[in-house]
Amino acid sequence: MPNRRLTRRDFLKFSAAAGGSALLAACGGGAATCDPITSADTIALDTLTECATAEGQLTTIALPHDWANYGEIIETFKTRYSLTINELDPNAGSAEELEAIRANRDNPGPQAPDVIDIGIGRTVTAMEDGLVAAYKVATWDSIPMKDPDGYWWAEYYGALVFECNMDIVETLPVDWEDLLRPEYRGMVAMAGDVLQSNEAVQTVLGAGLSRTSGAFEGAAQAGLEFWAEMNAAGNFVPVIADVGKIAQGETPLTVEWDYLALANRDTLAGNPEIGIVVPQTGVITGPYAGGISAFAPHPYAARLWWEFVMSDEGQLLYLKGYAHPIRFNDMAARGVIPEELAAALPPAEAYANAIFLTVPQLQEANTYITENWRRVVFGE
Amino acid sequence: MRGDLPQIAGTADISRVARRLRRPSSRRASPWAWFWLALGMLYFFVPLVATLEFSMRAVRGRYTFVAFQHILSDPDFYRNFGFSLMWAVITMVISLLLVVPTAYWVHLRLRRLRPVVEFITLMPFVIPAVVLVFGYIRLYGSRPLVLTGSPVLLVAGYIVLSLPYMYRSVDAGLRAIDVRTLTEAAQSLGAGWPTILRQVIFPNLRVALLSGTFLTLAIVVGEFTFASLLVWPAFAPYMEDLGNKKAYEAAALALISFGLTWASIGIIQWLGRGAPGQTQVTGAH
Amino acid sequence: MTVDRLSVQGSVVDAAPSGKKGGAPRARPPRSRLIDWLAVGPFFLFALLFIFLPSLQIFIRSFQDREGHFTFDNIVTAATGVDFVNAYQASLSISLITAVGGAAFGFLLAYAVIMGGLPRALRTFMMTFSGVASNFAGVPLAFAFIATMGTAGLVTRLFEAITGVNPQRDLGFSIYTIWGLSIVYMYFQFPLMVLVMAPALDGLRREWREACENLGGRTYHFWRYVALPILLPSLLGTTILLFGNAFGAYATAYAFSGSFINLVPIVIGAQIKGDVLYNPGLGNALALGMIVIMALCMTGYGLLQRRSARWLR
Repeated sequence: MPNRRLTRRDFLKFSAAAGGSALLAACGGGAATCDPITSADTIALDTLTECATAEGQLTTIALPHDWANYGEIIETFKTRYSLTINELDPNAGSAEELEAIRANRDNPGPQAPDVIDIGIGRTVTAMEDGLVAAYKVATWDSIPMKDPDGYWWAEYYGALVFECNMDIVETLPVDWEDLLRPEYRGMVAMAGDVLQSNEAVQTVLGAGLSRTSGAFEGAAQAGLEFWAEMNAAGNFVPVIADVGKIAQGETPLTVEWDYLALANRDTLAGNPEIGIVVPQTGVITGPYAGGISAFAPHPYAARLWWEFVMSDEGQLLYLKGYAHPIRFNDMAARGVIPEELAAALPPAEAYANAIFLTVPQLQEANTYITENWRRVVFGE
Repeated sequence: MRGDLPQIAGTADISRVARRLRRPSSRRASPWAWFWLALGMLYFFVPLVATLEFSMRAVRGRYTFVAFQHILSDPDFYRNFGFSLMWAVITMVISLLLVVPTAYWVHLRLRRLRPVVEFITLMPFVIPAVVLVFGYIRLYGSRPLVLTGSPVLLVAGYIVLSLPYMYRSVDAGLRAIDVRTLTEAAQSLGAGWPTILRQVIFPNLRVALLSGTFLTLAIVVGEFTFASLLVWPAFAPYMEDLGNKKAYEAAALALISFGLTWASIGIIQWLGRGAPGQTQVTGAH
Repeated sequence: MTVDRLSVQGSVVDAAPSGKKGGAPRARPPRSRLIDWLAVGPFFLFALLFIFLPSLQIFIRSFQDREGHFTFDNIVTAATGVDFVNAYQASLSISLITAVGGAAFGFLLAYAVIMGGLPRALRTFMMTFSGVASNFAGVPLAFAFIATMGTAGLVTRLFEAITGVNPQRDLGFSIYTIWGLSIVYMYFQFPLMVLVMAPALDGLRREWREACENLGGRTYHFWRYVALPILLPSLLGTTILLFGNAFGAYATAYAFSGSFINLVPIVIGAQIKGDVLYNPGLGNALALGMIVIMALCMTGYGLLQRRSARWLR
């Protein structure tokens, strides 16, 4: 159409278009910062918060509320950032977590985990199978145990202790060898299943390290032999211990992570009385590692979660749950650890001989113990 | 009439038999019956009592029901149990709609398909639930067919798990009634298939379907794997979670769950009691 | 009396298994094929989508190694590895024990409430209870038995109070064996037997019993020559069902003793879920082996059921 006079309609159209694009530019300006993440660099907290809020949800897996105070950590995170948290199977083992990532690769729904918490020995598989994305949190430099490229980092650790039902156990054991004494016949159990649980494998390894006086070489075999003797003597109760069985008396002497033992003591509140002993030798620590799913449906929420958990505040919440935050030494040096929290843990001297194994060592021990467990201990 | 009597040797036999017939043997309570029942009850109830005894030790030094109170005052308990109960009913209905027409048809017309159908209904016994659920997630959780957000997969899983029991009860029921005669009678009165199913088959199967629905209810309420991995607030994940946290409450919960499931089954049984018994229906005898 | 005898006679004749019933020829509408598909179609579609396709995975992944390449290794290991042969042996023995024991006592229970002349209310009680109990498994069941016969269990404490001896602590006795687990398995085996055999026992007509007595037989004769021959296929078939049920039980075995008792489902679980072993190809191969065994059981069960159905029409 040749030259039309500009009508009011045209003018309205034009301003609508202009206004619309300005609006889009404004939104686009906000949306532009929520692009798919391609690098492992730290992202500013306000960007994370904004984009996470836009995502609206976070899916976690294998985080029981009573494990290292995850209940409070989840609640605090949920209320602070107004996100919905989908909590998948709290009892999932590390392999199940990885399987959940694999199976939900293309699933944008709430069954696909965003963040995982796995035994440190499992991090190799996670990386090899391309299941985790790299990210370095703000406090990256003060994390003593991590993958240099940012694919995983340790979150917290504990040591294996002897958790005793004082109604049944008369004298507390002092070290691993005490467990073989006849007075503990039919009493000693592990808190997990050797073929499926990281904790149980470490229980075997801890006994072994006690026998080899801390040397890694031969510790796995020594541990297996220890438990074979336990089984032959009738001291070993071949059942997976839990707070119910400890209270009921089936497994009055359970070897468990200190934070779980202390949490159990709180839960039972004296009914029965629980005695907790850190062994003198073979003090094995079991750090757990955190990661972000490579196919996370909510990548910003996932990173926001880690910023929270690895911050001083998040780490102190672990401490409140009796677990040692991985950044404990750094935080202690800066004096940010409250007196009461530190005092609630067993005394620091008990942890003086704590043994931290490397990831390759843990992997090797894992494989050796699970492959030989049945043969050595049960003779099958 | 005398001529119809079978040959029986001797009057002594006749009078012995006559005495027996006056006292129908099936109504005499055998002492052995009481014995087996008592033994069975002992076996079933002692573990329940042991669980109860433990749950009552929640407070030191005395027996108390406080663990039960904790459970019954927990809103999560009602929410999760209600959720499972609701989905149990939905599963039952869909399962019936799937199974009854199929079993009926196979029984009546497609006999050759019977082994195939039976094999299908026995497969759920054999496949671990954890394998099945991951199968669902892989197949139906990725684009273009994302079903993982809806309860479709959960219900499908429940139906699969209860299929063996549902099919077996329907099958047993169909065997017990004279399906062919009933169908022919209905057809000769002019009924179409939907009417036959709705007004002739379903009502006659009511008694037989009861045990199938009992088991479906028990299975759905107790099912953990699907509910947990597909992320639904069902009862079994709640129980599992509690079991890890609280010793005495977990034992109390196990008993409450047992009791509630039993009560639900009792209600179904009560609702089904008015149905005509199998023998009356077949008339021709 | 005469009338009774006539009715007895009449029923005995009717009770003979009849093949074809005489009578009006069945009307066969021309649309029958379509109706056939409509009636069974949904079921088969459901089975395809939600049973076959997802389980195809088991079959496929059995032949894959960890990288996804085709291999027979898994099948070979599953069939011959020492660990697994032991697991199969243990699973077979516990399944056999609980199948035979469960069938025997379950049958007695079913007999007691249905034919034993007990009050009708007890029958309803037993049937509804069996409905719940047959599904009471996993953690609560395992805990219930630990609370009963474990080291600090109710029965153990009573025993200790009477005899002064704690079987576990003083005698080294342990419940974490195949026999201990069998006792636990019975909790869902007995009720399953009751639930499945009850309709069959119900189908034993009173007239047959009376006919037997008419001919001078006592209880022993009734069972030996009438009831058991009729019920035997059904009994055997249900025993096989119980066998399969025990063989596949995972939750209860795991809750009772973790991986400490070596059973096939436990080993499968360790391969598929485990923190440390993780070889899904092997796990799936073991599952495939389990399926083969169960398929054999179920086929046997099906054949036997069909034979007994003739009598219980």
